Amino acid sequence: MKSIMSIVVVFLMFTIQANAQKKIPNITVKNLDGSSLTMNDITKEKGVKIISFWATWCVPCINELDAISEVYDDWKDETNVELIAIATDDARTKKRIKPLINGKGWEYRILLDENQDLQRSLNITTIPHVIVIKDGKIVYRHTGYFPGAEDELYDVVKKNSK
Amino acid sequence: MKKLLYLSLALACSFAFAQDQGDEEKKKDWGTVTGGFESNIQWYNDDTKLGKFAEDEHFRSNNYLKVDYNYGNWFAGIQLESYAPMPLLNYSPKLDDTGIAQYYAMYKTRKLEITAGYFYEQFGSGLILRGWENRPLGINNSFRGGRIKYQPSNSLSFTGMYAEQRDGFKISEGQIIGFNSEIDLTNLFKLQSSSLAAGFSYVGRKEDIPEEFQNTGFDEMTNAFSARLDYSGNTFYSGIEYITKSEDAIVNSQRFIENFVEPGSALLLNFGYSQKGLGIDATFRRLENMNFFSEREAAGNVFNENILNYLPGLTKQHDYALTNIYVYQAQPAISVPDPSLLKFGEIGGQIDMFYKFKKGTALGGKYGTKIAVNAAYWAGLKGDFNFTDREADIEYFGFGQKYFTEYSFEVRKKWNPKWQSIFYYVNQYYNQRFITDQRGEVNSNIAVVESTYKINSKRSIRAELQHLWTPDDNKNWAGGTLEFNVTPRMSFYVTDIYNYGNDDKDEQIHYYNVGGSYARGATRFAVNYGRQRGGLVCVGGVCRFVPQSTGVTVNISTAF
Repeated sequence: MKSIMSIVVVFLMFTIQANAQKKIPNITVKNLDGSSLTMNDITKEKGVKIISFWATWCVPCINELDAISEVYDDWKDETNVELIAIATDDARTKKRIKPLINGKGWEYRILLDENQDLQRSLNITTIPHVIVIKDGKIVYRHTGYFPGAEDELYDVVKKNSK
Repeated sequence: MKKLLYLSLALACSFAFAQDQGDEEKKKDWGTVTGGFESNIQWYNDDTKLGKFAEDEHFRSNNYLKVDYNYGNWFAGIQLESYAPMPLLNYSPKLDDTGIAQYYAMYKTRKLEITAGYFYEQFGSGLILRGWENRPLGINNSFRGGRIKYQPSNSLSFTGMYAEQRDGFKISEGQIIGFNSEIDLTNLFKLQSSSLAAGFSYVGRKEDIPEEFQNTGFDEMTNAFSARLDYSGNTFYSGIEYITKSEDAIVNSQRFIENFVEPGSALLLNFGYSQKGLGIDATFRRLENMNFFSEREAAGNVFNENILNYLPGLTKQHDYALTNIYVYQAQPAISVPDPSLLKFGEIGGQIDMFYKFKKGTALGGKYGTKIAVNAAYWAGLKGDFNFTDREADIEYFGFGQKYFTEYSFEVRKKWNPKWQSIFYYVNQYYNQRFITDQRGEVNSNIAVVESTYKINSKRSIRAELQHLWTPDDNKNWAGGTLEFNVTPRMSFYVTDIYNYGNDDKDEQIHYYNVGGSYARGATRFAVNYGRQRGGLVCVGGVCRFVPQSTGVTVNISTAF
């Protein structure tokens, strides 16, 4: 048993070094009106985008998106960045998405990953999880949110939008 | 088994290596390997207050390694799972093993997708079929078999599947046939600023009937049909879903109830209105005999195994320890153990409201104030059971025994650039006899205050105070949390909930926890030491019972 685990660990260190995931898998997600689109439709666009995985029941996710919401206009003006908030809510809570984003006045593009197909294919185990893509390629990932993380995120966006 | 494991690891490594070379050469594309690893490790120790740890193996761990490979239109992957030397407390004993838990191969183009092996699937809202994974809950109800998805146009998509369901490291005895269609009617009706979509599904479950129950009024094959319609306009949206399930034997606590056969049905209605700064959403649901398993005798199993559909408790998901003691779980099943405890299903609903007081108004202040209100009411379906003829008489819109009510109110307020707070109040009624098969009813009030103070752009402190008042069950609780976020990547916390009101002095226990976490990129590492309260652990409206325990927990997760 121990040998298996040690192999796994060695393998992991090796692969992390060798190749971090650079592409967003071409999974089908939904718009809020129920129509579907594939992630290729998003990754084929040029420029820097923030992809944020969240859910209506996740307090740190909402704290993060609230915090960014206050400076989002400045971010857009300065770097042309777009934030795409991917809700991983399932049938229990997905009805809350629309009223919640409007109630909060968020201006993000919202997509639905209802059975967590995209989340799973990116191997995201905990949310919030943000991914920054530039011209469709992953340049940054971060798990969890504590106040101040949005500044670090913006540094990454600024660096990549030059 | 071991050989296989090594072999697959070697294979995965060679893929990874191939990818590395591919990057260097920039000419040959060998495809990409991606994956994720998660490990949850526990050391359970003896506790002076909770007593000795009475189970085998103080040290336990759950480990998951998922590796996916993609080359052009081809996809393949495996998931290795290792529960060694034993699964964490109260995970299914069927998981006590190490090996390849899942694998798949898939070919995918824009219009066509063909999968063989293990896959996850959901039809509509999941009310008729959902295969999903939730590791904290120990759920993996994926399917093993074949699936074809075909999307002839943007407004039409079809799915057909034939599979068995994952059950520990094995598969279910029942076979599942599924068909789903999604039809976008927006273009057909030439709608400009709104959309309309319909969906139809069929799910069949075929399982041999034990000899003693053959010819007792139900078939090997149980058929379920779903029809749904969703409308979405600029500010208003609504949806309806209806499901019927054919006659099947009633099974309680994994045992057939003799001479009791019933059909099932479900109705789900949803309305919402939203505009900038305001959102309202209302849901109504009626479930009659709607639990649906890939094996009949899995009905009522405590590990959420073999569940074919998704029936979450439709209440607000709370985020604080004391608001999660009395959690409602959906009551879809029929059970008639005695005339004072007749259950035929559930009926009820909930309403959510979100509102933002604008910046600069009296209540909004400088930064605006956000409020959220939720109210939920759930009752048993009204009905009667004739114990001599063994027949149930169920009213369609009859509200019977009250199971659960809840009102909650949340205010989020930012005071200045450094301070922000959340105020949360919940009032609950919880019928323990009907929900958890214990005695009594609980009326409780819970208040939570949470504040975050930003020391500088990287450092912050968060404090949380909670109190639960109830004259019932275990009486009052108090709780608190202090969290110090050293950097946006690293954080430490101390938390405690204390059942100080318990009548039994020995049960007045502190459930304290201390821990920290560190995240970098897609990797997260967390350590925790403390006592876990026994009870329901719920994620997404589905709950798992965990016994109380004390010990060290280590969580590692990463993606590559």
